This record gives sequence, structure tokens and C-alpha cells, in this order.
Amino acid sequence: MRTIAEINDKIQRQQAEVWTVEEVKARTPELGIAEVAQRVDVITTGTFEPMESSGAILNLGHTDPPIKIYQCWMDGVLAYAGFGAVDLYLGASQPAEYGGAGDPDPSDGTRDALRSPVRRRGGGHVIADLIAGKSVQVRAIGQVTDCYPRASLETTITRDTINQFYLYNPRNLYQNFIVGVNGGDRPLYTYLGCLQPRLGNAVYSNPGAIAPLFNDPYLDVIGIGSRVFLGGGIGYVAWEGTQHFPLQKRLPNDTPIGPAATLALIGDAKQMDPQWVRGCYFSSYGASLMLGVGVPLPVLNEEVVRRCTVQDSEIVAPVVDFSIPRRVRPTFGLVSYAQLKSGRLTMDGKTVRVAPLASLHLSRQVAIALKQWIDAGKFTLTTPVAPLPSDRTFLAQERISSQINLE
Amino acid sequence: MPVTYRLAKDFNVAANIIRAQVAPNQIGTLLVELSGDIDQLDAAMEWLRLQDIGISTLSREIQIDMESCVHCGLCTGICPTEALTLDSETWQLNFARSRCIVCEQCIPTCPVQAISTNL
Ligand code: SF4
Ligand code: SF4
Repeated sequence: MRTIAEINDKIQRQQAEVWTVEEVKARTPELGIAEVAQRVDVITTGTFEPMESSGAILNLGHTDPPIKIYQCWMDGVLAYAGFGAVDLYLGASQPAEYGGAGDPDPSDGTRDALRSPVRRRGGGHVIADLIAGKSVQVRAIGQVTDCYPRASLETTITRDTINQFYLYNPRNLYQNFIVGVNGGDRPLYTYLGCLQPRLGNAVYSNPGAIAPLFNDPYLDVIGIGSRVFLGGGIGYVAWEGTQHFPLQKRLPNDTPIGPAATLALIGDAKQMDPQWVRGCYFSSYGASLMLGVGVPLPVLNEEVVRRCTVQDSEIVAPVVDFSIPRRVRPTFGLVSYAQLKSGRLTMDGKTVRVAPLASLHLSRQVAIALKQWIDAGKFTLTTPVAPLPSDRTFLAQERISSQINLE
Repeated sequence: MPVTYRLAKDFNVAANIIRAQVAPNQIGTLLVELSGDIDQLDAAMEWLRLQDIGISTLSREIQIDMESCVHCGLCTGICPTEALTLDSETWQLNFARSRCIVCEQCIPTCPVQAISTNL
């Protein structure tokens, strides 16, 4: 039907026809798949949700005398330093430490600033602050060697005073996820927020039919090297994500019934926009990073459009009870995203309030922003250099769990 | 003047100081939360006025910083009165202040700390 090169040619002439996936879902029933596939070159999708398996690679630049960093804290958050001298990796869910070697000096008046709201911080907040142009305090201890004589370093950095600053996120863009509930009798504080006892609420975290990977269930047009919108900048699909599980059970429409494919993403954080990168904190659970990610789907054939017509009523997620502290938790069965988005669910004869965790509003805005980039000729598509694996199984640490087996 | 002492001793009213700006021999302000028997509260306020202390009352209110809010909706599943809801068209957060009972359960729930009280 058309190739990526032809699409890019049209994008560069600002003549490409770009629709958001919501427009495709709304207009295809009336126009028909063939007609939409004729007219549309690119379909944009987006999501905005907490993605805790994210992090930033930073290179501070060499000091004089130079240092080989052994341990390092950025605004009190431990960064991994087990690379070359001043290379660091700052993980989004690493909590801020207080009173440790990375703690800012209390005598300089920062002690008040360390009271509880600030304690609810972690790597995600530091990454978001750097992207917002704020300065971040760095404290490092060096391993003294003949070539790296410096023993310690205390300085302040911004994104403009360091060499490289890019996100490398080992697991983003879950293709479907779960719905959390709590059948126990005390509140549970989880990565889905607070789950109230006795099925007090339910939380789902995937934006459903508008989510990028629900619209390409077998990753036919997404692969390694696909260019994406990442945090308001340009990013790429680097690899399969951790826990990538394409063999998840699927419905007849090929969408998975639970967590399935994931992607590892990479992108220059210096180009990112604070609007799409937000540090967040879940009460009594920890810090994370909310990220806007947009994926363009090239309309190479009618099948691409057909996949994008999937509706919230046709996709499901499992309802999982978090009150059982096991890896495999009992489920209350599958529920459709249309039901979840209605805000109510009936379980055990009881009406349960349902809240999302992905921002449906900002997910939609990501798809619109990406469409605007393509319309303006600022964003072209790439041909993947390799496909993502379609046969990964989902291994668990059986040996460890059998040691604590209570059965 | 030991205002909070007199409130406690004479009226059995507990005064929880939220903010204080007081310096010797100057006019200061004190933001206090008073709790006690309703009649005694009235009497305590009357006494304060007689001491030439200007009083203005303020009730605790929820504030939502819409600049920080990401419309994730997490607070809507916690709010017991459905004062917090998501608009089913735009998926933006709606706050119906008239329904809010200031239970403050939403405050720790918000992952971006967009919710606070005015006090
Ligand atoms: S204070 Fe309570 S009632 Fe008011 S919005 Fe928050 S959760 Fe709802
Ligand atoms: S939890 Fe916070 S960010 Fe999410 S919708 Fe409520 S106020 Fe907005």
C-alpha cells in the first residue's frame, strides 16, 4: 500500500495525513477500513503513566584532579556508579536517603526542607528536576587510584553542565496490565496506589484501547529502532523490555488478557519537556516517574488500520487481589476496559469504585502532540532494524520461591 | 498575653497553633485551630474580642494545584463523597467543593502532591 520511505517523503512535504488512534476508532465504522487506509498515512498513539523501570544515564565530565566515582548521591538519591569514572545511572524508583553520606549538610539550613514532603522523593523527581532545568546537588566518594587521585566531590549540576544525559528505560509501555483490588481487611499501599480493604476500590493502570501496544498486538509495525515520542523529546525502541511476554494468552482479536509485550526505550533527556516527565510518589510504596510516550503506527496496509479499530469493550484485564502476598495472586476474573472506564465494577455482589492510574487525559494529549510534530514535518518515521522477539516465555525465580514455600 | 493558656484554662478550649507571627510589643497574628464545646467556643471568642483581639474565622479547605495535577484519577477512587471525579469526556479531574467533607484522604493519595489544604 505504501512504504515508510513514501510516508516520510510526504511528512517532509508536510502533506502526510495523520490521525490519532482515537480519530481512527471514531471514524472507521462509518468510512470503512479500506477508505481510512487509503487516506491515512500515520496513526499516532500515546500514553502517560508511571513507568518505574526507567532511569537516566549521566556523564558528569571530568574534574581536576579527576575522580573515579565509587558512590554517588544526587539530591540524596543513590546513583549507580559501577561504570567508567564519571558515568552514572540514576534509577527512577531509587528512594532519597536521609542522614547518610549523601544527605545535604543540615547546617546550611536545608534541614527544614528535608521534612516529610521532600522525603517523598526519589530518582524520578531528580530526573524530572534536571529535565525542568533545575540544579541538582551531587555528592560523590571516589576510589583513589594513580590515575584518579580525587577522593571526593561535591558540586551542583544542571542538564547543561553535564556531557550526556539520556533516559534508558529497561521496561516501558506495558501492553496491557492488571487491575488491583484488596480483599483483605487492612489498606494496602502498592505501586497502584492505596487499595482499600474489603474491595474498597479498584485501580487499573493501562489507558486501554488508546494505549500504543494494544493497537499493534503482535508488534508488526514496531521494532528495534522505531522512533517514538519519549518525554516530549525524540526516543527510540532500544530492545525488548524486561519481562517482555508476548506469549501471554490472547483473545480471538489477538489482544493479550494481561501483561504482555514491553519495550526498552532510549532518548536524549536534554531535549525532553518537563510537561511529559514527572516525578511521582506513591504513599508508603515509593518513588516513580510518570512519562508521556507516543508511538506512531505507519499505515503500511489495511491490517494496521483494522488493528487500530479495537475498542475498550473488546479488551480485558485481570482483576488481581493484592491481599495475598504471593507472586501468583488469585484473580477475580477478567474485566473489559469499557467497564473499567465506566468507573464502577461489580464484585462479590458489591459495587466497587474504579480509578485509573494512567492519565487518560494526558495520554490523549501525547497522541495529539505527536500528530502535530508529524503534521509540521518535524518527526519522520524509521524502519525497524530488527523485530522484537515474539516467543519469550516468562520465567520466575522458582528456586528462591520454593525455599519459602509455605504450602 | 498567654492567650492559649487562658483559652484552655477558662474555656476548656484546645488551641492548636498552625502558624504564629508574634514579636514582643508588636501586633502579631496567630493561626489556631480551636476545638471544644460549641458554647464554650462562642464564649472564648467573645472573650478574645473583649481583649481587643481581632478574629477572623477560616475553615479548612482542600486546594488542588491544577498546574501539577496530571489527571491520573487516583484520588477519585479514594474520595468517599465523590467530590473528586473524572470528566467522562475530557478525562480531566473535577472537584465539586460543595461535596467535600475535608476528610483529607485524597492528600496522601496524590502521586504528584497536587492536593493540600489552605491552612
Ligand atoms: S478531603 Fe475527602 S471529601 Fe474532600 S476531596 Fe479529599 S477525599 Fe474527597
Ligand atoms: S491524584 Fe493528584 S494528579 Fe491524580 S487526578 Fe488527583 S489531584 Fe490530579
